[in-house]
Amino acid sequence: MISRRVLLAATAVSLPLRAFAGPTPAGKGAVLYFITLRDGQKVRSPVTVRFGLKAMGVTHAGDTYPNSGHHHLLIDVSEPLDPNDTIPSDKNHLHFGAGQTETTIELPPGPHTLQLVLGDANHVPFDPPLVSRKIRIIVTK
Amino acid sequence: MAGEIRSFTQAPSAATPGDSKRRLAAVLAADVCGYSRLMGIDEEGTLARLKRIRRELIDPTIAEYNGRLIKNTGDGALVVFDSPVEAVRCAIVIQQSMVGRNATLPRAQWILFRVGVNLGDIIIDDDGDVYGDGVNIAARLESIAEPGGINISGGVYEQIKNKLVCGYQSMGDRKVKNITDPVPIYRVLPDLAAVKRAHRSRGIAAAVAAVVVCAGAGGAWYFWPLHAPQEEATAPAPSAPVPSKNISGPVATAPAPASTTPPIAEPELVALKGGAVALGSNEDSSEKPIRRITVPPLEIGKYPVTVAQWNDCVAAKACSPAATGDPATPVTNVSWNDAQNYVRWLSKATNRNYRLPTEAEWEYAARGGTETKWWWGNQLKTGVANCKGCGEPYDSHQPAKVGQFAANPFGLYDMGGGVEQWVADCWHKDYSGAPLDASAWTDGDCSAHVLRGGSWKNDPSYLRPSARGPYDTSVRYVTHGFRVARSD
Repeated sequence: MISRRVLLAATAVSLPLRAFAGPTPAGKGAVLYFITLRDGQKVRSPVTVRFGLKAMGVTHAGDTYPNSGHHHLLIDVSEPLDPNDTIPSDKNHLHFGAGQTETTIELPPGPHTLQLVLGDANHVPFDPPLVSRKIRIIVTK
Repeated sequence: MAGEIRSFTQAPSAATPGDSKRRLAAVLAADVCGYSRLMGIDEEGTLARLKRIRRELIDPTIAEYNGRLIKNTGDGALVVFDSPVEAVRCAIVIQQSMVGRNATLPRAQWILFRVGVNLGDIIIDDDGDVYGDGVNIAARLESIAEPGGINISGGVYEQIKNKLVCGYQSMGDRKVKNITDPVPIYRVLPDLAAVKRAHRSRGIAAAVAAVVVCAGAGGAWYFWPLHAPQEEATAPAPSAPVPSKNISGPVATAPAPASTTPPIAEPELVALKGGAVALGSNEDSSEKPIRRITVPPLEIGKYPVTVAQWNDCVAAKACSPAATGDPATPVTNVSWNDAQNYVRWLSKATNRNYRLPTEAEWEYAARGGTETKWWWGNQLKTGVANCKGCGEPYDSHQPAKVGQFAANPFGLYDMGGGVEQWVADCWHKDYSGAPLDASAWTDGDCSAHVLRGGSWKNDPSYLRPSARGPYDTSVRYVTHGFRVARSD
């Protein structure tokens, strides 16, 4: 884990405080969950998703304030999350580094999965990773 | 069928049932010109195409601009909007999208709409039909529009003239059947080519002016005052799009900067001549509709800004934090705000006008005169770019040094793969309502800006020249970098 950190620090613009820090510990008893939607829900696009977080705070990416992080929404992601790497950023991994706690997304009709992952200042999952239950939704026409 | 619109709009207008509702609305009337001719050539094919256009373009665009379709007559439509700005935006999006759809077909098969937009009093009856002068004038504006063109009434013009990216040409006051007062009519000229055509056809070569930039609320808007006499030489654009193979590539490499003390590692630039280019694609909804734009000459970074170049800015205390790693790798983990700090500092330090490229400039540069999926063709090739799935060399932990892979036909490196690159534009989910020139789109919600080119951690689909994505303006992420542009 340390070696990966060093590698990351060597390649990225490193935040001095973080360069040699270990993985960021998750808050005790923290829970990440969907306020909306619920598993199995049928919805129409665009879909508004609200993110819930218990026992930790939401802050901006880059902010190392203890016991806080920012949301990432994983859409239709099946490959396992690498707990030691930055959370990817692409059409299936949406970042909310400005501290957003909800979003509205457009999804094609059909079944989809949604999952939340809390990221630390550097968009890396906490230790242990703080993820929501993966929910399945069905987007109707 | 245009006749049908007029007949249903005019016939009942005399009768105003007591319980119908009067209101002010922007009315959009559209019809297919040469409908009978198209049906004569290929009845089934034309119908199928019209249905598809309606399903894929007309209906969604109307919905997007909050319009209400009142009547669809097969080849014509009547739509009511609350806002004249939205009505004209909707019309422009439809007409511009049709240019893209027709582009691949022989001229005889082109489907061209005429559109008229009027702001006026309408009456909505219990069946949802609309009547009134407001409707009649819209239909009349439509009937005298050019194929592919948009006519608006003076009332609409007054409402939108400072709000929409357009040229407007006054057609004078026209008498409209059954309407007492003449109606001032304006033609909407959505691009520079249309402006040029407009003045040529009227034989007033001096009437088209240079582009005037209006700073409106939160954005730069352009219009062409058509009646201010100007030199012909200032007419800004070619009258027709040039084929992409004629688009000029690099013309020169920028000379080394004049020596300044202390020396700074100024990014190497490539000068591009500019030209007409089709931007966008149908691969993803965010890349639609395809826009044909004329990009003015510019200079753009041959490579993304490197760690070494970034650290010059850090040393000058104008950028932070310091970048670590190989000085020849692209700087990463920079937010859009960080990138702005860099170009501001570089401009000041060199007394030149450095900035981020606009989204249109970036895509023009990335295409390098090609119209294929990637600049190297439509098939994935290994070893030409730095991405997950682009082949060796590849290191998942860091981007390759700049310039390690092949340059595109304009001599630019890493226009796709390596680091995702910030551009000047605020994020919009697609190009509906985008500037019709190569300027940056900076109105609306700018809490996110546009990233282009995909990164070493993305798959090859993100490396397409037209692919685009959003990211929060103030947030740093490990795969984000930028390159500079200059136009002075």
